Amino acid sequence: MAKIERTQKLFLKSLKEKFRGQDVESETAEFYKFGGVRQSPRKMEFMKASRAIEMDRGLAMYDPERCHLGGIPMGQRQLMTYEVSGTGVFVEGDDLHFVNNSAMQQFWDDIRRTVIVGMDLAHQTLQKRLGKEVTPETINEYLHILNHAMPGAAVVQEHMVETHPGLVDDCYVKVFTGDDDVADDIEPQFLLDIEKLFPAKQAEELKAEVGKGMYQAIHIPTAVSRTCDGGTTSRWSAMQIGMSFIAAYRMCAGEAAVADLSYAAKHAGVVQMASLLPARRARGPNEPGGIKFGLFSDIIQANRKYPHDPAKASLEVVGAGVMLFDQIWLGSYMSGGVGFTQYATAAYTDNILDEYTYYGMDYIKDRYNVDWRNPSVDDKVSPTQEIVNDLATEVTLNAMEQYEQFPTLMEDHFGGSQRAGVIAAACGLTSSIATGNSNAGLNGWYLSMLLHKDGWSRLGFFGYDLQDQCGSANSLSMEPDRGLMGELRGPNYPNYAMNVGHQGEYAAIVGGAHYGRGDAFCYSPLVKVCFADPALKFDFAEPRREFAKGAIREFMPAGERSLIIPAR
Amino acid sequence: MAYKPQYGPGTSIVAENRRKQMNPGQKLEKVRSVTDEDIVLILGHRAPGSAYPTAHPPLAEQQEPECPMRRIVKPTEGAKAGDRVRYIQFADSMFVAPSQPYQRTYSEMYRFRGIDPGTLSGRQIVECRERDLEKYAKELVETEMFDPARVGIRGATVHGHSLRLAEDGMMFDMLQRCLLDEDGIVKYIKNQIGEPLDRAVAVGKPMDEKWLKAHTTIFHSLAGTSYRDDAEYIEYVQRIHSLRTKYGFMPKEE
Repeated sequence: MAKIERTQKLFLKSLKEKFRGQDVESETAEFYKFGGVRQSPRKMEFMKASRAIEMDRGLAMYDPERCHLGGIPMGQRQLMTYEVSGTGVFVEGDDLHFVNNSAMQQFWDDIRRTVIVGMDLAHQTLQKRLGKEVTPETINEYLHILNHAMPGAAVVQEHMVETHPGLVDDCYVKVFTGDDDVADDIEPQFLLDIEKLFPAKQAEELKAEVGKGMYQAIHIPTAVSRTCDGGTTSRWSAMQIGMSFIAAYRMCAGEAAVADLSYAAKHAGVVQMASLLPARRARGPNEPGGIKFGLFSDIIQANRKYPHDPAKASLEVVGAGVMLFDQIWLGSYMSGGVGFTQYATAAYTDNILDEYTYYGMDYIKDRYNVDWRNPSVDDKVSPTQEIVNDLATEVTLNAMEQYEQFPTLMEDHFGGSQRAGVIAAACGLTSSIATGNSNAGLNGWYLSMLLHKDGWSRLGFFGYDLQDQCGSANSLSMEPDRGLMGELRGPNYPNYAMNVGHQGEYAAIVGGAHYGRGDAFCYSPLVKVCFADPALKFDFAEPRREFAKGAIREFMPAGERSLIIPAR
Repeated sequence: MAYKPQYGPGTSIVAENRRKQMNPGQKLEKVRSVTDEDIVLILGHRAPGSAYPTAHPPLAEQQEPECPMRRIVKPTEGAKAGDRVRYIQFADSMFVAPSQPYQRTYSEMYRFRGIDPGTLSGRQIVECRERDLEKYAKELVETEMFDPARVGIRGATVHGHSLRLAEDGMMFDMLQRCLLDEDGIVKYIKNQIGEPLDRAVAVGKPMDEKWLKAHTTIFHSLAGTSYRDDAEYIEYVQRIHSLRTKYGFMPKEE
């Protein structure tokens, strides 16, 4: 390890804006004079809204000046704003809670309501068992019918209820294939064109992996998956697929071959976004705890848009990952609290993790000649213990020194878990991008945690620290506990299932290994193509920008209900 | 060969201070005096002079089963009496406060009996029988492990360890349980949970920067000793990590 020069501090602009008029390197500050919660426009808005609600319903609600610590409201120090990293957009912390942010809700809605269903099994049933002809024309006709049926419309039955298109306008089906000739025959409105959506090198790789098969990227209505759950997605889609095949190919609704189509759509040919969790988690498929980290890194599309910046691509995965896994999965599904947002946002606000990660990029370029701006397998360094130790040590020490040199930076990340997650993430990303090995990245994470804990004699909280003190033994060498490669791990991996500030970063570490190699995908080429769709409500190439739009109330989500409720 | 604790690696003053705090063979330097009654007031668990509330009858009055562990492990005074388990919790500023969360836990585990410490980033709690707690608390407050300005005794709402200091040098505490008085002495006006006290409790003058830098157990490149400069310490952590990576929790020498 050896400190390298890096004059650019990506977090400085944020600090100067947050602590306007103050010396960001000063060790002292004024406190107890800010007027408590009244310093925050958003808290004031909350109080005003609550007064109106109380008048309306006759029942007490938000009252921080009475209920917080017996009359001492928060805000005895400065309540900070936050810049969503990489966007230049400053927001109130409250705006990054998923309840207050429609983009965050839509991010998860768009994943939960998605399945991919192969068409080849169904086509074989139609052709071989029923002797039907399957041609580009019949496929296009089927897709017309399916896009009528998938939102909730009837195709075979008489006298049926149907859904209002204005309520389910986010629901549709497109197809993709690696076969250019077949793709040419599909109506453009239904096609996810790999050639056009991806950079040439990635497109070639993806087409080769997808092959000649054809896959349906299915997004059921947001309103349906919200009312039901992730397990509904494959069932809802399979029902409409079955009915559409019956209609398109003039099948008998009750003939036995329909069972083959159903089986293919519900089981044999379906790719869920998340696997079923053990019974003790009480969650079906397509719920956050079952998303493999490799698959999650394929959902995020930043490496498609920014193929020459694996650090940025990884940082977008961090932002998306901590929002889903910390704020929604652990924070609400698993714990039921509201505090997780404060932990999670540290990883995607104020360009702090960005600065630490780009320091790591400078280091691997300076020390190991890794041309990270031109991702390639050719210049990756060996994932040896010695190299991982060197990378993680230097990035950890630099980050700790930044916190020490800029007391406002430390004040920004005022919780140990925030700092620990951010420092270790920078180490993990540096190690994985440099080596192209996700487990080397995870190992760098764990060394960082040990170094951090010993340097400052603190880390996170009880359980947080447990996970990180076990991790050396289940990362770079998987032998001690017969562990998994990072791509196949997920939020429910042993020891990973309990702590904020880890899972999103782990997913990004996995992604970084592939982005650093210039790979088109990390785990599933099908998922990569599916979420490249520009018609999705949420832009998966820019999750942090989308979250910022949600925070400033400029994001338009799906799940419209104004059509069926009284006008305000 | 009998195991001889080494109390951690490192060549820096920080490492040396850590070893000193941990090593029960080294007497901690007494820096200030706080009366027993004042400790009880800050803790806030019982009124000074009142009887210790109990969780069970004294052990001598109970029918203790025959048990080899009970013969080996002698109860503390609090356990003998059946005291409740209560706590003291500290928040330690990262601006070179003399002790820090893990350091506190390690030191207490070496020095005290019958304790249940909990270690977090912004606070460290130790729980034990009430009369034992008062004895331990007195040692923790009166010695070099405490500084009136950079260490807070805080049961709840501990926020402050990582914040800039107030202009008078005090660590931020939104409840302002203690204040730096005009006479230069820090006084607790609320107990650790934030309930107002009937009278202020003095815990002494803040230590100066020179003393803090010489006694701290945290590395800090701006305010104290840089972690990077203690190469032995870093090498030791890397070694532990490497051995755990390769061999799990049954490490072998390479």
